[in-house]
Amino acid sequence: MSNLVFGKYIPIDSLMHKLDPRAKLIGLFLMIAAVFVPKSWWIFLLIALLLSIALLLAKIGIRMIVQSFKPMIMMMIFLLVINSLTVRTGDILFTIGTFAVYKDAILNTMFVIVRLLLMISITTLLTATTNPLDLTLGIEWLLTPLKVIHFPAHEVAMMVSIALRFIPTIIEETMRIMNAQKSRGVDFENGKLSEKISAILSLIVPLFSVAFERAYELADAMEARGYVPGAERTRYHVLKFRFLDFLFMFICTAILAVSILSRFYL
Amino acid sequence: MSLIVIRNVSYAYNETRNAVDGVSFDVKKGDYVTIIGHNGSGKSTLAKLIAGLLPIKEGKIIVEGKEVNEENIAEIRTRLGIVFQNPDNQFIGSTVKDDIAFGLENKQVRSQDMDAIIKEYAEKVGLTAFLNYEPQNLSGGQKQRVAIAGILAMKPDIIIFDEATSMLDPKGKKEIKKLMYDLAASGDDITIISITHDIEEVLQSDDCIVLNRGKLFMHDKPEKVFEDAEKLRQIELDVPFIEKVREVFAKRKIRLKANDLEGMVEELCRSGSKH
Repeated sequence: MSNLVFGKYIPIDSLMHKLDPRAKLIGLFLMIAAVFVPKSWWIFLLIALLLSIALLLAKIGIRMIVQSFKPMIMMMIFLLVINSLTVRTGDILFTIGTFAVYKDAILNTMFVIVRLLLMISITTLLTATTNPLDLTLGIEWLLTPLKVIHFPAHEVAMMVSIALRFIPTIIEETMRIMNAQKSRGVDFENGKLSEKISAILSLIVPLFSVAFERAYELADAMEARGYVPGAERTRYHVLKFRFLDFLFMFICTAILAVSILSRFYL
Repeated sequence: MSLIVIRNVSYAYNETRNAVDGVSFDVKKGDYVTIIGHNGSGKSTLAKLIAGLLPIKEGKIIVEGKEVNEENIAEIRTRLGIVFQNPDNQFIGSTVKDDIAFGLENKQVRSQDMDAIIKEYAEKVGLTAFLNYEPQNLSGGQKQRVAIAGILAMKPDIIIFDEATSMLDPKGKKEIKKLMYDLAASGDDITIISITHDIEEVLQSDDCIVLNRGKLFMHDKPEKVFEDAEKLRQIELDVPFIEKVREVFAKRKIRLKANDLEGMVEELCRSGSKH
C-alpha cells in the first residue's frame, strides 16, 4: 500500500515546500473556493493549468496525482449513475433500451467530477508539500482569533495534524486486516448484502480496535515527552512570511477573482 | 540515596485482580535495572505508573525526591523518558528531526538552539544521515533509535525501555541492545529501567526485578536471581543459557564460577589439563 498518497507528506526540497504553511493554507483555500464558483470549462482549464505549474514546482509527479484519484473512482461512477437516473433535462445523448441518458446528466457529472479532481489535487499539493507539524502551526495561526471565544485552536490543529499523519498508516492497517480476513475465507467482493455487511463488520471491528490502541499509545508517547495540551511550547519551525508567500497568495486571490467574474461574463 | 523509590504500589484496571500488587523497591542512580516476568505480570503497568501515565491509586512512587502526582508530573517528565514497544505508535513528527524536536518544543528549548541539539543526539544514535527521512520509512531498529534520540535530546536522568526490542528483527534487537549498553556505560549517570523478556540482556544489568501476577517475586543482582533457577522455573521463567550450562556441570559436581561462556570454557580446559 506504499502507493497510497492522499494526505501523505513528501519530504523533498522544492519551491512549494519552502512556502510558509499559512500562505499555502490561505492560498489553497482560495483555490478550492475558486473551483466551486465557475460554470465555464475555460476557467477550469485555467485553474488546472496553474495547478499543474504549482505541482511541477512542488516536484510532484503526475503519477502521484493520478494515484490520489483512485479512491474516488467508485464515488465518481456512483455520481454518474445517480445523475443519469435523476437529471432529465437537455438533449437525449443516447438510449439504453427504453432508458434515455440526457446531455445535462453527463455535463453535470463532469462538472462535479472535475471539481472533485481539482479539489483532490489542491489538497494533495498542500499535504505533500507541508509537513504535518508545519500544517499544525498554520492551522493554529489561522484559528488564533477564535481563542478569544476560548476555542482550543492548538488542540484542534494538533488533532488535524495527527489525523493527516495517520491516514496512510490506517489505510495500510485496513489492507492488512482485509488480507488477514480474506485468508480466513471472508469474501469482500461477492455474496448477498447480508454477507457483505458481515464481511465489512469483520473488517471494521478489528480496525477500530487497532486504531484505538494506536491512539492510546500515541497519547502515552506524547505525554511521556512532556506534551501538555494548551501548555506553552516553543517552536522548531518558526514561521515567517516572505515575498514569495505574498506572491502565492496574490495569485490564488486573482484566480478566485477571475473565477467569480467568469460567473457574470462567461 | 535512591533515585526512584517505589512503596506498596498497587494498580487495578478492573475489580478482578490487581495488575500491580503491593510492589516496593528502590532504584539507585546510574543503575541499569531489568524487570522481567510473563505477559500480564504488571511490568508495563509499573513502567506507566513510574512515568505518571497511569494514576497511582495505592502506595507511592518518588522520583528524584518528588512524589509522582498531578502536581509534580510535568517536572518529572522532563527528567524521565520512556521508549515504547511499538516504534510506529510513538512518532509525532513527519521527519526524524521534527520528531526529535517534539520533546524539545514541549521542554521550551529556544528555537535557535534546537538544530544543534537534534544533530548531537542524531549522531549519538547513528542517524545523522536520516534527519530528513520520514520515520515510517525506516527499519524497526532505526525507528526505535529515533525514539531514543527524541528522549535523549530531552537530557533525561532516567530512561524506561518498555520491551523496546520485542517487535524488532534480530539485527534491530542487536542495534538497540548495544545502544542501551552504551548508554549505561557512558558515564552520563543515566539510570536505565528495561522491561524485557530477553534473559541474556538481564545478565548485563546491575539489578533484576522479577514480577509475577503483579507481585514482586524476586529482586537481586542478576547472577543471584539466576542462581535460584528452580524458583524461576516455578513461575515458568527461563534461565540464561550460561546458567543452564552451569547447572548441568553442577550435577556432575563440577563447579564453574565464570559469568560468560568463554570464561567457562577456559575453566573447563584448565580443569581438564590438570587431570
